[in-house]
Amino acid sequence: MKGFLEYVPGESFLHTMNPVAKLAAAFLLVISCFTTSNFILLAVVIALDAVMAVQCKMVPQTIGLAKAVAAFSVILALIALLFTPQGDVLAPLPWGYIGTASVLNAVLIVVRLVACAVPLFLVFYVTKLTDMANALVKVLHVPYKYAFTFMSTVHFIPMFMNDMAGIMEAQMARGVEFDGGLVKKVRLMVPLCVPLLVSSVRKTNSAAIAAEVRGFNLRTRESGFKEYPFSGTDFAAMGIAAALLVVAILLRVLL
Amino acid sequence: MIEISQLSFRYREGADPILKGIDLSIPDGAFVGVTGAAGSGKSTLTYAINGIIPHCYPGDFYGSVRVDGVDTCEASLTDISRLVGSVCQDIDSQMVSSVVEDEVLYGLENFGVPKTEIPARVDEALAAMGIAELRDRSIAELSGGQKQKVAVASVLALKPRVLVLDEPTAELDPASSVAVFDLLKRYSVEHGTTVIVVEQKIALLSEYVDTLVIVDEGEIRFCGTPHEVLEHSDKLLEIGVNCPRSTSLVNRLRARGLVCGPAVCTVEGAVCACEGLLSGKGACA
Repeated sequence: MKGFLEYVPGESFLHTMNPVAKLAAAFLLVISCFTTSNFILLAVVIALDAVMAVQCKMVPQTIGLAKAVAAFSVILALIALLFTPQGDVLAPLPWGYIGTASVLNAVLIVVRLVACAVPLFLVFYVTKLTDMANALVKVLHVPYKYAFTFMSTVHFIPMFMNDMAGIMEAQMARGVEFDGGLVKKVRLMVPLCVPLLVSSVRKTNSAAIAAEVRGFNLRTRESGFKEYPFSGTDFAAMGIAAALLVVAILLRVLL
Repeated sequence: MIEISQLSFRYREGADPILKGIDLSIPDGAFVGVTGAAGSGKSTLTYAINGIIPHCYPGDFYGSVRVDGVDTCEASLTDISRLVGSVCQDIDSQMVSSVVEDEVLYGLENFGVPKTEIPARVDEALAAMGIAELRDRSIAELSGGQKQKVAVASVLALKPRVLVLDEPTAELDPASSVAVFDLLKRYSVEHGTTVIVVEQKIALLSEYVDTLVIVDEGEIRFCGTPHEVLEHSDKLLEIGVNCPRSTSLVNRLRARGLVCGPAVCTVEGAVCACEGLLSGKGACA
């Protein structure tokens, strides 16, 4: 089974793009999303997200993520709705009011977060972590230690999730009932964090040793075998993302 | 190749030493199997050879370990790992990459193998472990056994003089375990590599290794050819090491004076002894 943030092999142009270009384009999109409050521009970004998802054949996963992000951002949106009294009064509250602008703000938060989460998510699924780390080291001259730390962190997330699932299954086999309300589930899960923490510290330690006995300390920027040249598509993708950012800034300044 | 003299080690958090006065000499190109009950110190013994102790786990280290003349206490872990390739017990956390090819590349890149040589080394290592077709697969979707083979291949690619493996067949079914040992043995013979393998499956070890080392409570109880060591099947059982069933059978027959000759390590040996007994030739006068 494919885990969270694990690479999905494929041949799409997103897969073959330069990892640095992918990251750069994704970050440019994220910045544009946060710069603009214009729904049309956000709709353009979402349309772009959809095109990318279709292109790399990750539609179901992307819809799943979009739903999860939307659910999370609804909480933020509710806070914004209740505590930012702006625009015409729609409903009075004891501490202020819900205004037309509050509603717009709330919707904006949801749309914005969904629009900007998808590109980042896709980058992780269409890029091998090793490629990303090596490209960051080669192209952006990031020290390998930091790149490796980042890579290991992402690498360990699915492992820890598997471990947690394993511990929970073991508990269930011994009669612990995890079904039920969220509060009950969390209360049952908290004590399991201790064995999880112990096993993760052990795992990280043996991972560090394993990397060290394979020459981790000798690695330099030149060590990477693969080269990561930029192609026309990379420049085009970064160009489109940069153009969106420029439009976002212009809209902000002009309107 | 490897000279261990009077080695004792106690982990900082442990009350008792886990290794006590180990003396072991392993010649170049030998295929050595280490076995013993759980907690007997066999893994720690491999850590002493690949330099993980004293470099990674703090503790009291007495005696000396020399690999190809290099004292493991004085050399850095990186320098030792140029000589000694290690496959650890925890395969999952050993993987640094998401794809098989990158995993094999990792060590090659780090040790600065010339880039013109790298593709051939990757091909060779994958072929040696019989996993050439897994090259572009994601490691997360491999079975435990396939991961084991990837871990071994990524170390073989470095062409170490000494190869230390901690339970390389722990997650493998019997057929794949035999396949891994076949590959290791062939590789060791072809490249003159010294191989030290810790393994619970004593029947498998007895069939492949030149020297069998039995560790019990931090001490080496028996060390010799499988034939010599398996002579002591009763004592082995006392310290929690099961002999291969074929050995136990023939040893029992020998104890009753029905069969003579040395202890057997393989099923074929047992068959031969029994056939001799049945035809009346093997019986001792």
